[in-house]
This record gives sequence, structure tokens and C-alpha cells, in this order.
Amino acid sequence: MVDLRVLAAACLLPVFPLSALFNQLVEQVRHPAARALAVLGLPEAGAALLEGLPRHTLVRGVVHSPAVVALVLFTSLLYALRALSVREVTLWARLVATSGLSLDWLLVGTGAPARSVELFALAWSVPAALLMVWAGLFSARLGGAYLGLRGGLAARLPRLSWLVALSALALVATPLFPSFFGLLHVVDVLPLSQLWAVLGVLFLWAWATGRFLGHLLFGTPGAGPVADLPVVPASLGVVVLAGLVVLGVLWSGRWTGI
Amino acid sequence: MDRDLSLGERLKIRAMVYVASEPIARFWPMRTFIHHNPLFGLEHRPFPEAVAEGTSLFHARGYLTRQQYQEYRRAGRVDDEALARRIGAFAAAHDPGVPGVDLERWLWCLAVDADLAQLCPPADWLDGAALAAALRGRRPEVAEEERHARLLAILERRLPPDAPFHERVDALFGTGIGPAVDELVIKACLDFFDEGQSVWGVPGRERGFFPAWRDVARRDLRLLIHGRASGRLLAEEADPEAVVASILADLGIPEEHWQATILRELTHLHGWAGFVRFRQQAPGYYWAARFPADLVDFLAVRLVVERILVLEAARRHRSPADAQALAELVAADPAGAYLRTELHGGTVLPGWAQRVEQALARRRPAAWQRLAARYIEAKAHHEAAEQAGALRRLAEQVGGGAPTVLQELGPHELDRLLGALRAWEREEGYAFLVAMESRAITDLVRRVRVPEPGTPTRPTRRPFAQAFFCIDVRSEPLRRHLEALGDYETFGIAGFFGVPMAFLEYGNGSEQPLCPAIMTPKNLVAEIPAGLRLEEEPLFGALSEVSHGLKQSVMAPFVAVEAVGLLFGLGLVGRTLWPVGYHRLRDRFHGGEPPTRLLVDKLSADQADSIVRAVQRAMIVQALARELRVARDQVTDDEVRELREIALGNAEGPSALATRLGLSEAAEARFVETLRSVYRVERREAARQLERLGRLGFSLEEQVQFVARALTSTGLTSNFSRFVLIVGHESLSRNNPYESALDCGAAGGAHGLPNARAFCAMANKPEVRLRLRELGIVVPEDTWFVPGSHTTTTDEVTLADLDQLPSRHLLYLERLQAGLAAAGRRCAAERVRTLGLGSRAERSPQAAAQAARRQANDWSQVRPEWGLSRNLYGIVGGRHLTEGVDLGGRAFLLSYDHRFDPDGRFLENLLSAPVVVGEWINLEHYFSTVDPHRFGSGSKVYHNVAGRFGVMTGNQSDLRTGLPLQTLYKDRRPYHEPMRLVALVEAPVRLVLAVVQRLPKVRSLVFGEWIRVVVLDPEDGYRVLVLEDGRLVDHLDPTSEPCTPTVLEEAR
Repeated sequence: MVDLRVLAAACLLPVFPLSALFNQLVEQVRHPAARALAVLGLPEAGAALLEGLPRHTLVRGVVHSPAVVALVLFTSLLYALRALSVREVTLWARLVATSGLSLDWLLVGTGAPARSVELFALAWSVPAALLMVWAGLFSARLGGAYLGLRGGLAARLPRLSWLVALSALALVATPLFPSFFGLLHVVDVLPLSQLWAVLGVLFLWAWATGRFLGHLLFGTPGAGPVADLPVVPASLGVVVLAGLVVLGVLWSGRWTGI
Repeated sequence: MDRDLSLGERLKIRAMVYVASEPIARFWPMRTFIHHNPLFGLEHRPFPEAVAEGTSLFHARGYLTRQQYQEYRRAGRVDDEALARRIGAFAAAHDPGVPGVDLERWLWCLAVDADLAQLCPPADWLDGAALAAALRGRRPEVAEEERHARLLAILERRLPPDAPFHERVDALFGTGIGPAVDELVIKACLDFFDEGQSVWGVPGRERGFFPAWRDVARRDLRLLIHGRASGRLLAEEADPEAVVASILADLGIPEEHWQATILRELTHLHGWAGFVRFRQQAPGYYWAARFPADLVDFLAVRLVVERILVLEAARRHRSPADAQALAELVAADPAGAYLRTELHGGTVLPGWAQRVEQALARRRPAAWQRLAARYIEAKAHHEAAEQAGALRRLAEQVGGGAPTVLQELGPHELDRLLGALRAWEREEGYAFLVAMESRAITDLVRRVRVPEPGTPTRPTRRPFAQAFFCIDVRSEPLRRHLEALGDYETFGIAGFFGVPMAFLEYGNGSEQPLCPAIMTPKNLVAEIPAGLRLEEEPLFGALSEVSHGLKQSVMAPFVAVEAVGLLFGLGLVGRTLWPVGYHRLRDRFHGGEPPTRLLVDKLSADQADSIVRAVQRAMIVQALARELRVARDQVTDDEVRELREIALGNAEGPSALATRLGLSEAAEARFVETLRSVYRVERREAARQLERLGRLGFSLEEQVQFVARALTSTGLTSNFSRFVLIVGHESLSRNNPYESALDCGAAGGAHGLPNARAFCAMANKPEVRLRLRELGIVVPEDTWFVPGSHTTTTDEVTLADLDQLPSRHLLYLERLQAGLAAAGRRCAAERVRTLGLGSRAERSPQAAAQAARRQANDWSQVRPEWGLSRNLYGIVGGRHLTEGVDLGGRAFLLSYDHRFDPDGRFLENLLSAPVVVGEWINLEHYFSTVDPHRFGSGSKVYHNVAGRFGVMTGNQSDLRTGLPLQTLYKDRRPYHEPMRLVALVEAPVRLVLAVVQRLPKVRSLVFGEWIRVVVLDPEDGYRVLVLEDGRLVDHLDPTSEPCTPTVLEEAR
């Protein structure tokens, strides 16, 4: 019988079908900052739950079974696919984060240390949380964070747009960001026969990001002046993203053994 | 496609398409870029009306933004008095009768102070009541019983019955059919209309666009993927007219809307449609004759693709497949339809977009109807709050008690105020435009030099040289500098010099019309080499042929890149780092052009026959060298003659040459066949050449007429100098698809030199001079007409046909050339400052000239020169008006002396061709500036050449008409000041109006105010009369008595 703690962890570190609960939880939080905290906190709570479980339960009992691996890959593919047709920043971030976070289970299956599982989750939840914050700032300025209604946001809100763009790239495993190195490790531990699924996820992320950035950056700018993000908070955002890059590079040493 | 149309029905469809396409301007191939008014088809209507219609049809802007006009005003480029007059007149005509609101003051503040792109944006639910509620801090309410009727009205506006059907489906379902149709049609056009850019052409192009496309489309996997219905729709063999009629009927478009629907279908890709229009109206165009296509074909292709995609969308998205089903869907569920159009039209409130999208995706009508009710409340509140905020800000700028008054206005008063403000916002751009033009007219009339009564208007002593330049604005600085240097007198004349001709250039098989695009030349002038060396080929030419062959082959590039790629790399480095030297070296390798002469005289029948024979012999010699490797010195004239007779079918082989060379009968037959098919030595071609030769040259009467007209209309009938230069112009730039846009518009977008050479050949002929003497124009014996060309990117003037110059003139040649070179350098020094080439280039005229040369040869340069940017004035009058006046290269200068033109015939010629060309150039610049992305061609950076006749943005787009951003904008601000052409005419007002009255086209341009006409009446003390709103008013004293209305009425 499956340990209930594993099921709870599957809600927080989302795996289909329990991933719907994770998404509902995040969706219910209205305030952008609180939503960001939820995205940061819930997966970490999931990782903490797993940490409390006996090691053999995790590795041999449940997670390592081919069915679970298939379920994890299915979750990742499903949410990446859903992100393709989404233009709302919060929703997009949530779906891609779910797609990325689910891959953490593959790490759990290899018996990776708890710290690595937590860091892996952070690699997706930090950029997703940043996107939640940026989405809140967008809504405050434009009434909503739904892209593609008014093009050329990069021209009207250059700082905010670039922060959104960089955070989105950080979320979809762009090189130098921690998610990239995390994904490399997943590729490393997966058998060749299952690699196509990760490549598929990567392909869908790239496609979804292309569409997302297209709606964000291009098009004819709408009319009327809108105040961009002031320099100080924008710099803070850049610092966080730069910090992510540095952490990613340092962290990559753990995986690659350098 | 079950319709079998009768001839009458087919003609009806053709007529419908023809009439519907009228507002779409023709698009000439870019090899001979013709500046044209993008709203040419609407020129029969007054300018403001045409702009309103054109902007709606092409989804474009017709005027600059308010902020841009405000910037011009701050820079002193707007006449405040003129703007105030227009605002006053508008306020008087649209007074809303709202107590406490000084509408004139409100409009003034809105126009000159408001930092609002649009005060009253389009709104669905906004009315006086909603606005009043918002002003008082309440949420407006939309009564439930009212909501349904308003929803239907909104949907009728958004889904008009004459809109293409796919637009309505896309608006409701976000199916993206429109972009997909455009993409597939562009692909079809690129394949069919290709003029040699692609190595492989579409099969069966000779049969026409629609049949050729249909054959290919039946096997097109992309189309099959796009729609399952394609097989069925493409299976039948129907005429394009039947296809159009059948699909419009299948789509359920009522027949009374067909014409409007067709127009809107065509405007989706108005660049391609304009190109097809050009082709169908240019029967002499080589590619059109070879591969025929017209707008009915184009429309049929478009409609078939659209139908396929509409049916596919119906299958996948359950969207309606015809207009009736769509109307039923909207009537049954207006709330859902409204939400759909909000979401897919991009007008949904951003905060609601996700909810609306989700609700529609779940396909539960009850849910979205509940949502719609709440959404409409939110939207109404949003619109009212936004509008109230904007009005409050404006009221604060108006000052006084305006904010309080606004706060207290009732719903009906607010309705009226909003109505007046909306109406003003539609007219504000035009008011600013008129005010800017008013300032420009004042600037001009204050600077022109009105002659004192009795003073001569031309030099009394003989100038060293006289020069005719094209009216092009770039001639103005050169003329000014040349005159300032010394004893030169200059004249302005349209750059085809009054000689409308088709030109057959040596080495070019097709003729090119060299005259304004509105004329069709009847006569042909051929260029023949004076020293023909047919069998010899310069080394570089041969190499480039080999390289071209390598590129055209399917497999060769894979090997060639490895083998000879480095050689191309050398060229790349040379072009980039050392452009001037590289091109000089390259030209030297090419071997240069041989000296040539123009055939300007009509030929007798014997002469024509002799020419055809000579050409055929030359072709045979060339064929022998290329095909059989037999050099010219190994073959006798008799042998060539015999081969010619065999090729024409007058004799039979074996020829003496074949026997001598030991050619087999089959080899000789193959060679003769090559002579016929490749070298065109055959009977039918000979007949065609003879017919063409009948068009060759001009009769003596015509030549006399051309020369006399040019001299008399410009006022040069006496005091001729030793040299009379006839200077055409051309532009030199590299890697620039827009190069011909910088050439001479009056010469049909080509170089003006051939016309100049033809004119000089006529004017130097003794028989012509004798006849001129009879007409009272005595050209002294020592006067010699010398053709030349002004290269506008380098400001160099090159004289041509100097080998024909009489010996006694050679003594003065050095002085003449030195003068021209010095003027060119001074002109370059003036010009490089505007191009921002750095302080080094501005150090001296020599440095400037060098920098200009580098700029012209630099293949990475997106702006080799400013071209005709900033053009504004057209001055028809004597040079005395503008001599010594720096007009900044903004004026078309046409020399005209009304004293030689009592009945206005010369003025008629000037107004009907050069002024119309000027108007096209001016309006092309105007519209490309006010909307660089719809009327202009956007940034050059993204351009790709399409089929060798146009450019596209990216790898696939509509053909980009208009001018690129880099030609019009500098540092993100318009460099070209968009104003209509200010045509100043120095002539009695009665004469001007009489001439305008005789020319219907000019009349509609003048009274429709496409051109701003300023008359400087010498018989009325040079009073400045401007035509404005149908009245001639004294510009410097608008309160004075206007011109007698009867004169105007007669002219109208």
C-alpha cells in the first residue's frame, strides 16, 4: 500500500493527477506575492515530506517503478503541452513550473540526497515565483497579465518585459540557469529509451516560450503612457536572476562532478 | 463549383473585380521604381475624404500622431493662426450647445497641449449617462432590456456583412484563417510571378495564374494538410470567374455585397494585388506577356484557399461554414458572440481575458452568458472611468472653471460634448496638416525674389554655359552651387526632357519606357555600339557567367563552396573594407562599355531591312563563336549570309561552312535550330523586328517639336551660350533594391541620360536648327548641346558623347568640367551634413565628396542618400524667383515663362505630366511617413527581394509598397516633413485656372487639394493667392478680398 505521505508529496511536488490539486492551491491564492510564496513553499514542503520517508520506500517501493517514471514524464509532457496555448503570465508560469517540478521525482528515484531534491525544486519554483511577482506588476499597470492583447510591451514597459523574458527563460532550462543543469542530470540518469520524453518536454517548453515571448516582445505598441518598473526594483530582479545563474553554475559542479 | 457561367456572367464578374480593385494602387516592379500615390484610386475624391476611406480600407494612419504634430508645433513648423482658424471654424459648425463649455478653447488645448494619443477611443458601452455616472464616482449600469439591442448593434458593427467571411469566423473563433490564407496565397504568388530569381519555375505558367496554381495545388501537401476539402475543390476544371462566383455564393455572401467583399479580400494583400494590377495593365511587360495573370485569377486562388480553410475550421472548431449559419449563431447567442469577438479581437479587458477564454473553451453557454453579464458591467465601467479620467485631465488643462463645469454636465450634454470631441479627433490631423502647410507657404513666399518691374529676368550677356537639369529636388543644390561658382545659367525641366521614348539599351533585350509613368511612349530609340566586338568577352564577364552557372545548378553549390568559396570571400572583404577601390577594380575587369550612338531618326524600309540583316549576321557570328568555337576570322561574309538564309527557311543545307568544317548533317541541323530558338534568327522574329523598327526614331517634325517646346517653355529662345548641357540624373548604390527609387521619376524610374542624349542628338542636327530658325529660335552655330548625367549619391556630373564635340569646343572643356566638379563637391559638402557622416567628412568639400563616394559604394549602407526625402515645393516659373535662394533641396524647379505661353499650352504640359509626377513622389513620401508600416515598407533591415521585382519583410509577406523607414526617418523622428506638394505657379491667375479647367485629372487634384496651389500673379503685383477650401485667398492677407468666385466656378 502506498504511504499517504508519498501521496501528499505528489500533491505538493506535483505529479498527475494530484498535480491538479497543486495547481488549484496556487490558483486560489490571489495576491501575487502570496502566490509566489506558494509556488516556492509547496514544492519544498513536498521535498521535506519525502525526506522524512524511509529511503527504501522511496527508491525501491514506489518511485523507481516504470509506471511512476512514465507517470512523471506524462505529467511533464502534459503540462508543457498545456502551456503552449496559454497567454496569461501566472498561468503559464504555473503550468511550466508544474511540468518542471514533476521531473524532481526522477531524481528522487535515483536516491539523490534530500538537498539535491530541494535545490532541483527551487530551480523551477524560483523563476516561477518571480514570474508571479512580475505578473502582479503587469496587472497593476495594464489591468491584467494576459499577453498578446496589446503588442510591443517591450517598447512600453522595457524593464518589466525583459525581467519577464529572462525569468521565463530561467524557467525553461536555458543554459546557465539552474534548471538547465538539473535537466542535464535528469537526462544523465534516465535510460536511453525514456530520453525521448524529456526531449519532447524540452521541445514543448521551447515552443511555448517562443509563443510566450512573441506575445510579450513583438507587435505594435498600444497607445497611452504606462509607467515602467522603477530602476531599483528592476535591479533587484536582475540581481535575483544573476544570483540564479551563479548558483546554477556552482550547483552544476555537484552534478557533473567538477 | 457547379456554376456554368454565361459570357455575360463572366464579364460581370470581371467588371466587378475591375471596379472593386480601383482603390488599390498599381505596384511597378522595383527595377523601375515608380513613386506613386498609394491612394491614387481615390484621387477623384477630396483629400480628407479619400484619406478617411483609404485609412479604413488599408487599416492605416492618414496623418501623423497628435504628439508628432505637437513636436512640430514646438519647433515652429505649425502656423498657429491657421490652426486657430480651423479650430474656430470647426467649433462654429459643431457647437454642442453645452453651457459653460468653450468648445474652441477645449479643442485648442486638446490639439496643442494634451498628452493623449486619443481622447475618445472607440467604446462599446459608453454614453452620456455612463460618463455622467463615472464623473460622479458611480458605476454605470447597462439595463438588461437595453443590453440585447446594444449587443446586436455592436456585433453588426464588428461583423459587417461585406467583410470577407474568414474575417468574421476569425473574429468569433480565433481560427487564424486570415493569416493562413495570406501565407498560402503569397507562396502561390512567389512561385508564379517569379522573374528569374528561382532556378525552377512553376510548370504551365504560360496557361495563366489560376490554372497553373490549381495544377500544382492538387499535389501540394501543405494545402492538403490545411484542409481536407482541397481535393474536392481543386478537382474541377472551372474558369476563375466561375470559381469566384461559386465560392461567394457558397459562402452565402449576398450578391449586393460581392463588390465590397472583393475589394476587402484584395486589400488583404494590397501589394500583391497592386502588382497583379500593374501586370494586367502593362501589355508590353515581358513577364506579363509570357505568363499572363489578372486579378480574377488572383481572387480565385484566394477564395479557393479561403474556402478550404473555412471548411476545415468548421470541421475542427465547429465554426459556421457560410454567412447564414454565422448570422444564426450570432442571433441565437449574442452574449457568447460578443465575448468571442472581445477575446479574439484583442479588445477584452486584460484582467478578464483568462476567465473569458476558459468559459468559452468549456463550451457551456449558460456559464458564459452569466460571465457576459458581469463582463459587460465591468467593460462599461472601465470605458466610462477611462473616458472620465481623460476628460478631467483635459478640463484641468483648459483651466478656469472647466473641471467644475464638466463635473456638473448632465447625460445629454455629455453626449453632445463627446460627439463634438470625437468629430474633432477625426479632423484634427487634417487641421494640423493645413496649418503646417500654411507655415511652409509663408516660408516660401517670403524667400522667393519677386522681380522689380522692368528688370530683365534672364542674364543679358552670354553665359559661359547653360544647363538643363531635371526638376528633381536634388538638382536644386547643384544648380545653386553651379550658378554661385560663375557664369552659368540653369533651367529646370522634367528629366525626360520632353522626349517620351522607349529605350532599347545595347546588351538589353527588352525596351524600357523612359517617360513619366502616366505616358505611354510610341517611339523607340535604340542604342548601338560604335565599336562592336561580339566575339570577344572580357575575362571577368566569362568568370561571372561561370559563377552564375554554378549557383544555378542543383548540385554544384555543394562542391563550389568548398572549391571556390574563398574567392567569393575576397570579394566580400573588398566590398566591406575598401568599397570604392574594390568597385573601381571590378569595373576595370568587366572591360567597360563600348562607345555607343542612339538611333533617333526614323528609318526608311531599306534601312530597317538592312538593320535586321545586320543584327542577324551579328547573332550568327556570336553563335558560331559560342556554339561551334569558330572565330570571326575563320568565317566569310558569304558563309554567314548562307547560314542566315537557311535559318530563315529561304535555303537548305548543307551550307558551305558546314562542309568546310566537316559538320555532319545532324550537327548542322542542330546548330540551325539553336540559331532559331536561342539566337532568334527566324522569320517571325525578323518580322517582329521590322515592325519594331517601324517605331524606331522620330520624324524631323517630331524632333523639331520636342526641341522647340523644351526651349520655349523654359524661356531659352535667345542668348544661347557655347555649351548647353542637358543633364539627366541617376543614382549609384550597392546592394540596394530601392536603387531605382533614387533614379529619375520623370524618366519612368530609370536613368535620364538616354533622353538627354536623344535630345542633344536632335538639337545638334543642322536640319532641326534650320527649322527652329523658322520658328524664331536662332541657335548660334557655335552652340553645342552636351548630354550629361548627375549621380545623386556622389554629386558627380559626367558628360557623355564628348567624342562628338566640335574641336573648337575642346578648348573650353576643361573649364566646364572643373566647374561641374567643383559644384558637385560643394553640393556633397552640403549634403553629407544631413547624412551624419562625421566631422571628417565635413572638413572640406573634397573630404565630403570622398565620403559621399564611399557611402554610395558601401553595400551595408541602408541610406546611401536621402533621395527625395523632405520634398515639399514645386515651383513653376522663372529661375529669377529662386536664384541664390537656398531651398535646401526641397523644391522641384520647373522653368516656365508665361510670356511665351499666351494660350497656356506649355503650362498644360507642365501640369499634366511633371507636376503630377511631383504629386506622386510627394504623396508617396507623405503616406510612407505618416504610416511607415502600412503605406511605407517598414525597415529595410528585414527586407528580402521577392522574385526580382519587389521586396518582402522576412521570408514571406505582402509585397512592401512605399518607401522604407530609413529613407524617411532619422533617430526615430520623421526626417521627411509630411505635407502635400506646394505648387507655386508664376503666371496670371486667369491663365492658371483656364489651364486647370482644361485638364480633368489636374482639376480633381487641384480642387481635391491633393496639391496645394499657390499662384504668384505677375499681372497683379505678384500677389500670393492660395487655393484653400475651394477659395483663392491672399495668403499674406487672408482678410483681403478673395478671387472672384466666377473665375473659380468656371475652372471647377
